[in-house]
Amino acid sequence: MSDIHTLVGAYVLDAVDDLERAAFDRHLADCPSCATEVGELLETAARLADGAWSVPPPRLRAEVLAQVSRTRQERPAPRPGRDGRSTVSRWRTVTAAAVAAAVLTVAAGVTSYLVQQQRVRDERAATVAARAELDRMQEILDEPDLVVRRGGLSFGGRLTVLTSPARDAGVALLAGAPPVPPDRAYQLWLMAGTTPRPAGVLTAGAGDDSAVLAGLSGMSAVAVTVEPASGSAQPTTDVLASVPLT
Amino acid sequence: MTDPSGARRRPDHLTPVPSPRPEPNAGRAEADAGRAEADGLLRAVALGDEAAFGRLYDLVAARVYGLVRRVLRDPAQAEEVAQEVLVEVWRTATRFDPARGSATSWICTIAHRRAVDRVRAEQASAERQVRVATSPAETPHDEVPDQAARRLEQQQVRRCLGDLTELQREAITLAYYAGHTYREVAELLGAALPTVKTRMRDGLIRLRDCLGVLGVEVTR
Repeated sequence: MSDIHTLVGAYVLDAVDDLERAAFDRHLADCPSCATEVGELLETAARLADGAWSVPPPRLRAEVLAQVSRTRQERPAPRPGRDGRSTVSRWRTVTAAAVAAAVLTVAAGVTSYLVQQQRVRDERAATVAARAELDRMQEILDEPDLVVRRGGLSFGGRLTVLTSPARDAGVALLAGAPPVPPDRAYQLWLMAGTTPRPAGVLTAGAGDDSAVLAGLSGMSAVAVTVEPASGSAQPTTDVLASVPLT
Repeated sequence: MTDPSGARRRPDHLTPVPSPRPEPNAGRAEADAGRAEADGLLRAVALGDEAAFGRLYDLVAARVYGLVRRVLRDPAQAEEVAQEVLVEVWRTATRFDPARGSATSWICTIAHRRAVDRVRAEQASAERQVRVATSPAETPHDEVPDQAARRLEQQQVRRCLGDLTELQREAITLAYYAGHTYREVAELLGAALPTVKTRMRDGLIRLRDCLGVLGVEVTR
C-alpha cells in the first residue's frame, strides 16, 4: 500500500486539491482492494448528507425539469475518471512524484482518446506520437528542479505549468476546462512580454489535455486561448488564462 | 408510515447518547426501501425516462439542496448549484453503476463535489475568508413532512458522529460540511497534516462500521 493511500479519507471527503485527486485516481486504478475501501467510505460520507436535509424552494423543481427536458444525456461511454473543476489560483511547489502522477493521468487519458480518434486513419502513427510525447513529459517531470505554477482561470478549468529550468522545457496541463466544439481547440502560447509565440494546439474539442513546452528562456508567461482546431499564428480570441513563468 | 417509537424521543443534538447499539428496525427497512427505489429510478433515468427523473427528484432533491446549502451557506448559491447537480444527474445517469454503490450515494457524491468546487472557486477569486465551522447540530433544518425513516437516519448519523473522537469528528465535519481541504483543516485545528489525514480516514472507517455501511464488492 503506497503512501498516497493515506489520503483516502481526505479524498473521499473532497478535501484534496486537484493534483492530489489526480494522483489518487491513478493510484486507485492500480489497486483494486483500495477501490473497495473507497467505495465503502464514499457510501459512508454520503450518509453525512442525511443530517443536512433541507427542502428546496418549490420553483427549483420546475426549473430543473424544464432544463432536463432540453438537455441531451451522455451516451454510455466509459471514460477515464477525472473530474472536478474548481478554480484554484495559487503557486505552490509540490513533489515531483505527485505532479508526475497527475500529469500522466491526464496524458494517458489523452493518449487513449487520440488513439480512438485516429483509429480509422492512422492509428499507429498517433500511438507512436502520443507515446513519444508521454516519454518526453516523463523525462521533464523527472527533473529534480521541477517547478509547479498554477493560474487562476476565468472559465472554469485549471492551467498548471510545470517547468524544468535545467531542461529549458516544461509541461502545460489543462484540466477541467469546458469542452469546445470539435472544430475548435485550446491553444497554448508562450509570451515574451506581450508578444505571443504559438506553443501547441491541444486536442480538438477537449477540455483536458497536456502538452510539452520547449524553449522557455526569456519567456514570461504561458497563456491559453480558444482557436480553430488547426491552430492560429496569433491569438484570435481573448486570453482565458495566463500563468507567469517568473 | 411506521413510528420508530424509542428512537423518535431521542434528544435532537450531537451529544453521544448511551443507547443500545442496534437501532430499532422500524425505520431502517423503510430507509433501505427508499435507497432501493432511488437505484431503480436512476437506472430508468439512464434510459431517458423523464417521468422517473421527476420521481427521483422528489426523493433526493431535499437531500441534495440541503447538503449544498450546508456547504455553501448562501441559499441563492445553493439553489443554483443544486440545479446544476440535479441536471448533471440527468445528463450523466448513464455513468451510474449499481455494482459500485447506491444511487443516493452517487448523487450525494456529485452534489458534494460541486458544492466544494464552488467554495474553492470563490476562494480563488476573492480573498480567502475563514468560514466559521458549526457543528451539525447548530444548523437549522427546515420542517418537512415527517418521515420516520429520514429522522431515524439523521439520528443514526448524529449518534455515530458522537461516537468519534473529537479530532476525528472535527476533521470530518470541517471537510464535509464546510468544504475545507485537509490542509485547511490542519491549520484550523492546529494539528499536523499526517494526523489530520489519518483522523479523516480512521474516523470514516469508524463511521462506516457504526452506520453498518456494507461494501458492495467486499470479499472478506
